Amino acid sequence: MATNLTESGMEKMPYKEVNDDVVRTMTHSGKGYYIALALSISVAVLAWGLPWAYQIFTGQGVTGLHSPVYWGIYLANFIFWIGISHSGTLLSAILFITQTPWRRSIYRSAEAMTFFSVLTAAIFVFVHMGRPWNFYWTIPYPNQRQLWLNFQSPLMFDVFAISAYMTSSMIFLYFGSIPDLAAVRDRVTGWRKSLYTWLALGWRGTDAEWHWLSKAYTFFAVFIIPLAVSVHSIVSWDFALSKVPGLNKTIFAPYFVVGAIYSGSAGIVTLMVILRKTLKIEKYITLNHFDKLGILLLVMSLLWSYINFLEVFTGWYADTSFENESLIYRMLTPPFAYMFWLMIFTNTFMPLLLIFRKVRSSIIISLIISLGINVGMWIERYLIIVTSLPRKFLPYAWHDYFPSWVELSITVGSFAFFSMLFLLFVKFWPSLSIYEIKEDIGIPMQKEKGH
Amino acid sequence: MRAVLGLFTYVDALLEAAGRLKDSGYGVTIFSPIPLGHEIEHTLGGRKNHIRYFAFFGAVIGFIFGVLLTLGTAAMYVLPRGGKPIFSITPTLLISYETAILFGVLISFIGFCIFARLPYYGKKIYDDKVGVDSFGLLVDNIRDNKIGDVENILKEYGADEVKRVEEK
Repeated sequence: MATNLTESGMEKMPYKEVNDDVVRTMTHSGKGYYIALALSISVAVLAWGLPWAYQIFTGQGVTGLHSPVYWGIYLANFIFWIGISHSGTLLSAILFITQTPWRRSIYRSAEAMTFFSVLTAAIFVFVHMGRPWNFYWTIPYPNQRQLWLNFQSPLMFDVFAISAYMTSSMIFLYFGSIPDLAAVRDRVTGWRKSLYTWLALGWRGTDAEWHWLSKAYTFFAVFIIPLAVSVHSIVSWDFALSKVPGLNKTIFAPYFVVGAIYSGSAGIVTLMVILRKTLKIEKYITLNHFDKLGILLLVMSLLWSYINFLEVFTGWYADTSFENESLIYRMLTPPFAYMFWLMIFTNTFMPLLLIFRKVRSSIIISLIISLGINVGMWIERYLIIVTSLPRKFLPYAWHDYFPSWVELSITVGSFAFFSMLFLLFVKFWPSLSIYEIKEDIGIPMQKEKGH
Repeated sequence: MRAVLGLFTYVDALLEAAGRLKDSGYGVTIFSPIPLGHEIEHTLGGRKNHIRYFAFFGAVIGFIFGVLLTLGTAAMYVLPRGGKPIFSITPTLLISYETAILFGVLISFIGFCIFARLPYYGKKIYDDKVGVDSFGLLVDNIRDNKIGDVENILKEYGADEVKRVEEK
């Protein structure tokens, strides 16, 4: 039976309309866009740039870091942003391999989200360093005395995993965009014409070009999946390979990977709600997309809750006094107890509402649940660090940690920095995949096929 | 050399025309705003997938690079650390895993550039409409006295527009 809906639930439309709409999102900006951009740049500079400059000038003493807690909110933010990055590229690759139709409208922005959040996370490594100008010490470079890196350190695994992930995500995002950059090139004038001519690499859409694009893209997707899983496993080993109670758990790698996909998927939902409204692309990101993303969130929520339960249970089952102390400190001692139970509410109980189709199809409830999940996921990362390090083996060394205003300000600034990057992205890059939406609409055939 | 470009609205019409012209010994290139992989393979035959060698050897080279980097640098400057092994297997495998994937991606990308002959910023036959909603069929390798025939075939199969273009 002929239907007017595409496989992903969009209304069918002429190909030209897709080009028109996507180019419009890039070239037409209202007053609201400029206000949002100005605001995000200002907050990024004021809340992140200046306090960081102050920290570099004065020293790490301006933070709340103190013996025995030398890892604080900066590293919680680092894990949070790496986690957010996970769904974009990973989900895009998985949905590509499984040929899921609803991927087509959302994957471009999701991949951009990956790249920008890895970038934000990477900058937190610099913020965390006392002497960020010595960053190059972590990069293998030939030197006179042949004194190379210590590759046995989990922090070195991080450097390699995250650089590989950032590079591959960037290539994956760019590579999939080449045909669309060419489509934009053919429509714009002036400086934009020169920019997109350069970026489109001279793409003409020949059968040979499409052939090699699709073959290479499949390999990229295949490479990206194990890479993304390894990245967050490695981030978890920054903690799990230590001997600190509350951190040295074998379940950490899957726990972090599941948590990352969970928070990343919630990030996609939040982003899609904002994007479809502000760019007026409701017809491309439909209720069907939210329905499918809702199911994904529900599954990830159940998985995350199960592993979270196991994590607490294994600690409790071991019944060592150090492990018990870190659990009591995290789950029953205010103010961390409030945070912990809020996390359980937002990440375990609230997403259960997604069982109902009505809830999944409601944009506003999806937004609330997705924001709740990300608040919860941020709390999770924060608690992992700041409730374990202050309660190590010897009670005389215990010391509570509270972030200083510099750390809190930089945390707020990181969200503004991410928003700024994304706002720039939607104007410089086609945030919807033109050619894949056209694929979803279908190939124009003169003779109707039998099926 | 002279070439003819026909622009079509419908893919099946274009592929039928392409099949007939190819069988007659002309060179055909199809332009499209979307990938037509299966449809083209069905009509004009499949293509080889050389990218897989780039992906495979890229990953192998990356892995070897990772092993050499971790073990080789440890051998260059032997620095015992608290009884830990100088040559440690787990970190070596971890770093090599990451470099294998990184090199696999980079070298596959280079493979794509080589086979798709991109980037190319010179002038080549192209029509803006194939980036929007038209499907182009470029026919080359035409003798001068056959140009009219090719144009007629394209029109016969329903091309909306047929034009002569100059090939470099």
